Amino acid sequence: METDFKKEARKQYLHYFRIWFLIIGVLAILCIVLRFTKFMNQEAPAERVYDYADVLTEEEEEKLRAHIAQKEQQAQIHIVLVTIDLPVEGAEARERYGYRYTDWERNMQDIADDFWDEKRYGYNKGFEGDGVLLLHNWYPEQNGEHLATSGKVERAFSVHDIDRVLYAVDAYYETDPYRAYMAYVDEVCDLLERHSTMPFPWAIVLVVPFVVAGIYAAFNLKQQKAKNTTAVNAYVAGGKPELKGKTDEFLRKSVVTRRIETHSSSSGGHHSSGGGGHHRSSSGASHGGGSHRH
Amino acid sequence: MIFKCRNCGGNVVYSPEKHGMFCPFCESEGSQERQEAQSGGLTVCPNCGGEVPVEAHTSATQCPYCDSYLIFNERVEGNYTPKMMIPFQLGKETCKQSLREKFGKFRFAPTDFLSEARLNSMLGIYVPYWFYDYDTGCYFQGEGIKVRSWRSGNTEYTETSYYAVSRSMDITFQKIPVDASEQMPDDVMDLIAPFDYGQMIAFSPEYMSGFYGEKYNMGSDVVENRANAMMKADAVKLLKDSYGGYSSVKTMRQDVTVRECKAVYGLLPVWKYIYRYKEQEYPFYVNGQTGKIVGTVPISAAKVWGYTATLWACLTAILALVNILLGSL
Repeated sequence: METDFKKEARKQYLHYFRIWFLIIGVLAILCIVLRFTKFMNQEAPAERVYDYADVLTEEEEEKLRAHIAQKEQQAQIHIVLVTIDLPVEGAEARERYGYRYTDWERNMQDIADDFWDEKRYGYNKGFEGDGVLLLHNWYPEQNGEHLATSGKVERAFSVHDIDRVLYAVDAYYETDPYRAYMAYVDEVCDLLERHSTMPFPWAIVLVVPFVVAGIYAAFNLKQQKAKNTTAVNAYVAGGKPELKGKTDEFLRKSVVTRRIETHSSSSGGHHSSGGGGHHRSSSGASHGGGSHRH
Repeated sequence: MIFKCRNCGGNVVYSPEKHGMFCPFCESEGSQERQEAQSGGLTVCPNCGGEVPVEAHTSATQCPYCDSYLIFNERVEGNYTPKMMIPFQLGKETCKQSLREKFGKFRFAPTDFLSEARLNSMLGIYVPYWFYDYDTGCYFQGEGIKVRSWRSGNTEYTETSYYAVSRSMDITFQKIPVDASEQMPDDVMDLIAPFDYGQMIAFSPEYMSGFYGEKYNMGSDVVENRANAMMKADAVKLLKDSYGGYSSVKTMRQDVTVRECKAVYGLLPVWKYIYRYKEQEYPFYVNGQTGKIVGTVPISAAKVWGYTATLWACLTAILALVNILLGSL
């Protein structure tokens, strides 16, 4: 008998939660399928380190490539480093190299964006795909870095985050460029992990179900108690009393007046905030980014 | 006494579904024949001669050996003759269905709470009641206040008018029911009301065959205070209803005078289901005429935790998977 009831309880439990279990199963399968069939960008080259300024040794480049490869797997983004030693400022440079501008920052931005777009970088796709590129110009008097972001990194990183990455590079580039670029890779991945691109924060994932489960328990524990449903005249012969006498005699009256104060008030002020840092490259792709010039 | 079938000799019972006497053995209707106990007194079954355990106030019961329904003449005759009764209108199956409908969605009830085996233990009992008739004169005197407000320009006016209010009425209360059983909880018996007196008939022992019964074990003088309290509460409400329309009324004098009081003994039908869970009894009472249910469902702590924790886990899993899924797109 006891076994039968346990079986019945198990049956009721599974029946009650069957839709929930089904949804979880479908979502889990979708996650697994998406994980293994996620579109990988085949157009981009395997190279991630372009040391045109020749500030790294061969050994350092290899170590950096290995480190980037490992971090790319975890963060699912492309991480590219480009070092150059070119003048990017002034009319002469513009004429010589065909830059669109004469100012350092915009030209650095163009070079970084164009490099990214031309090589078809992006972890998931070759256009506006997920990833980041650090362009470091070592040209005397024009030394500085530009960080170009794309795809989910562009969406996740604020101007402040870009600055943090660039400061991480700034801290070591003079004394140890290899360490500076390792710091770049680590900082990008750390920040990206911190700014998870999930639609809602994990705190919500944990708190909301807790609250809902509490409400569910409270609601189901509440029992409708039997109420007294006997009408007041249920036992009265004929359903109503026999009225023998009734008096409603007016006695007196009093009137109170009150002046109504009217107020007019106004409140206001608008606060506006604007975002920034996003632009389109010459190929039409959306990028984010920022620069530090030394 | 016992009612036997003229055709097959089986025990004939009253069937609420068929509204008549019915032999469950040969399925004949109206074939009952009253048979009196020959000897042996109350504790001997007139059908099989078995020893029947009879409690102090039992007036009808079932023989544990031959399952025949017995009615004890000594407890339905003489001083214990009910003047009236409402026969069962709802059978056991209908009551079981009502309980399942009412509590079926209560998720945290123990699994076997509404099981067929448990519900089969439900008993139909004729509960002894005293029915009180009161002839009353009711009087109210007070001061009524009517408040009216309006606005003119920047001024708000509030006018308060005072009235001398009095009401005088005769109220005849009929058949206020108060259970006359020590075993039945008073609050539950009050909640199980009302009964439809349109189906009240003169007492006949035939209707008790197939059910359990009790003779009154509390005198009309003992329980009259409960009827009186009910009557006075209703009278005051009726008086109050008669002076509606005031913003507020201050009571100055209120009297309910009983001119005449009369009590009559009768029986009302109640189904009783006792569910035992973790060494505790959870009684449920169902009005045998209207189907109104009174009782509190036991809670299975294992179910509360199990279901709530599962819901929490499911929601967390779904949100997490959706988060991962949308985040990776």
